Amino acid sequence: MSGALLAAWALLARDLRAVVRSRSQLYSSLLMPLMLLAVLGTGVSSGLAPTSPRIIDGDYTSYLAPGMIAMTALFSSTFSSAGLYRDRESGLLRALLASPHGAPTIMFGKALAAILIGTVQALIVLVLAVVIPGIDLAWQFGWLGGAATVVATVLLLNVMLSGLSLLLAVRIKTMQGFHLIMNLALFPLFFLSGAFFPLDQVPAWLEIIGYINPLTYAVDLLHYASYADSPDGLIGPLIDTLVLGVLAVGMFAIGLRRAPRAF
Amino acid sequence: MLRAVSDTPILAAEISNASFAWPGGRGVEDVSLQVARGQIVTLLGPNGAGKSTVLKLLSGEINPDRGSVHVRGRPHSPEVRRGIGLVLQEPSTDDLMTLEETLTLHGRLFGLRGAALRERSAALLDALQIGDRATDRCETLSGGLRRRLDLARALLHEPELLLLDEPTLALDPDSSAAIWSALRERAAAGAAIVVCSNDTSEAESNADRVVIINGGRIQAEGTPSQLTANLRRDALELEWPDASDTDIAALQAWNEIGSVLRSADGLHLNVDGAVETVPRLFQQYGARISGIRIRESSLRDAWFQIVGVAMSDGEEVS
Repeated sequence: MSGALLAAWALLARDLRAVVRSRSQLYSSLLMPLMLLAVLGTGVSSGLAPTSPRIIDGDYTSYLAPGMIAMTALFSSTFSSAGLYRDRESGLLRALLASPHGAPTIMFGKALAAILIGTVQALIVLVLAVVIPGIDLAWQFGWLGGAATVVATVLLLNVMLSGLSLLLAVRIKTMQGFHLIMNLALFPLFFLSGAFFPLDQVPAWLEIIGYINPLTYAVDLLHYASYADSPDGLIGPLIDTLVLGVLAVGMFAIGLRRAPRAF
Repeated sequence: MLRAVSDTPILAAEISNASFAWPGGRGVEDVSLQVARGQIVTLLGPNGAGKSTVLKLLSGEINPDRGSVHVRGRPHSPEVRRGIGLVLQEPSTDDLMTLEETLTLHGRLFGLRGAALRERSAALLDALQIGDRATDRCETLSGGLRRRLDLARALLHEPELLLLDEPTLALDPDSSAAIWSALRERAAAGAAIVVCSNDTSEAESNADRVVIINGGRIQAEGTPSQLTANLRRDALELEWPDASDTDIAALQAWNEIGSVLRSADGLHLNVDGAVETVPRLFQQYGARISGIRIRESSLRDAWFQIVGVAMSDGEEVS
């Protein structure tokens, strides 16, 4: 293994250890999606009786599950990025950057940790969605292919979010500013991703924003792989993968390239 | 302890006519500095003088707008950075990591592995008297112990050039002594050490060479004894808030007074002998002088003469 890869590995191990020790981060990333599944899912299913053909048998909890997997990735990514700001503010990042490795290597190690943590946490939500009674995932193309697609989608989503975090770190210098952007931009985008309601029955202007929104393609792919009982009404895996893949690779590459300007 | 300073010192680092401007306007202008192996160089200057900028030029964190920086005869590169150790002004530890883990992470970034890394980490923690805390998390450490860990981190890969930004700022005497002891040991082993500081007494006690920076320029440099050679024997700090320019002019005419500088609450005099000067001062101005401190002249007074007492107010000149 080259020196740069060993350095990235050391940083990955350090960030993983930090997350395991910071239990509040670990729990809160998982608790919010699970709480929404339990409360919002059950409440809407029984209280509003949704009739959209995309919500099978009016079971909103099951419809919500793939979106919650994406939400976990988003939450986890937010926490990991906050860790980047903490490292910058504590001076640790400057100490790391004084090593023989350039900023891209340091950021690559940290991004790997964020991707791995986000992916594992999102997959924990998937496993819980599978085992919790009352959540019915259709796995229209079999659970093995579906699960593999979910893993790939979550990975691509986390790569994209890590790239986005790096780009934000270049532009936004304080953690407060970062949280402001996450609250003002990312969460509305998440609400308009199809995670909470199907996009095919919303007003045209909302639908347009939905299709411009990169998160839509991740949520669509997750619905396609794990929830939907037919491909009707979905964007489809080819376009989803293409959009998500291009954005993930592009954002990550640009983020790493611009990483030195973040300090 | 003997220092490994040869007659023809081998240069560890050299800044040649370097200028750098921060976006806010501050920085350094036309700075030239040579640091030899085995030498401890202290950069003295008030806050904002440009000391940290010089350190960042040496560490390769910034590149000069003009001029050049060479470490071991080469411009900055990843390979050159392998030979540099850096201690930042603020502790740079991760609260959730233990001391051992902190050193393991940094050791791996510098290519250290396995038993060699473990042994070196343990030896450094012991040398800095924090070996008994090796498995504790950094969040449990006091400020002084964190600084020792920072130093252990910077020394771990046995750098040939060690850069420290105010390493003993606000530390207790034990922590300061432990840090200076480790630095002298590293210098004796041939490393070049550059320390930013406001502490003139530490510089006088520990530095082979002192570089006084103010306003982004090097104002003076030399050994502590060279910098203090032109001072008179004693220093008087007078509490004399209403001292006028006429008073200062009158005092400057006295033969036994070498210099008169205005401070925040009075005057700072450098004199031949306090025993002779003080009675005369009180005879003429006694009613207006509300307090006086007498001490032997030191590097602090050389600093005052170069930087100005008023400029130094609020600095940790001790």
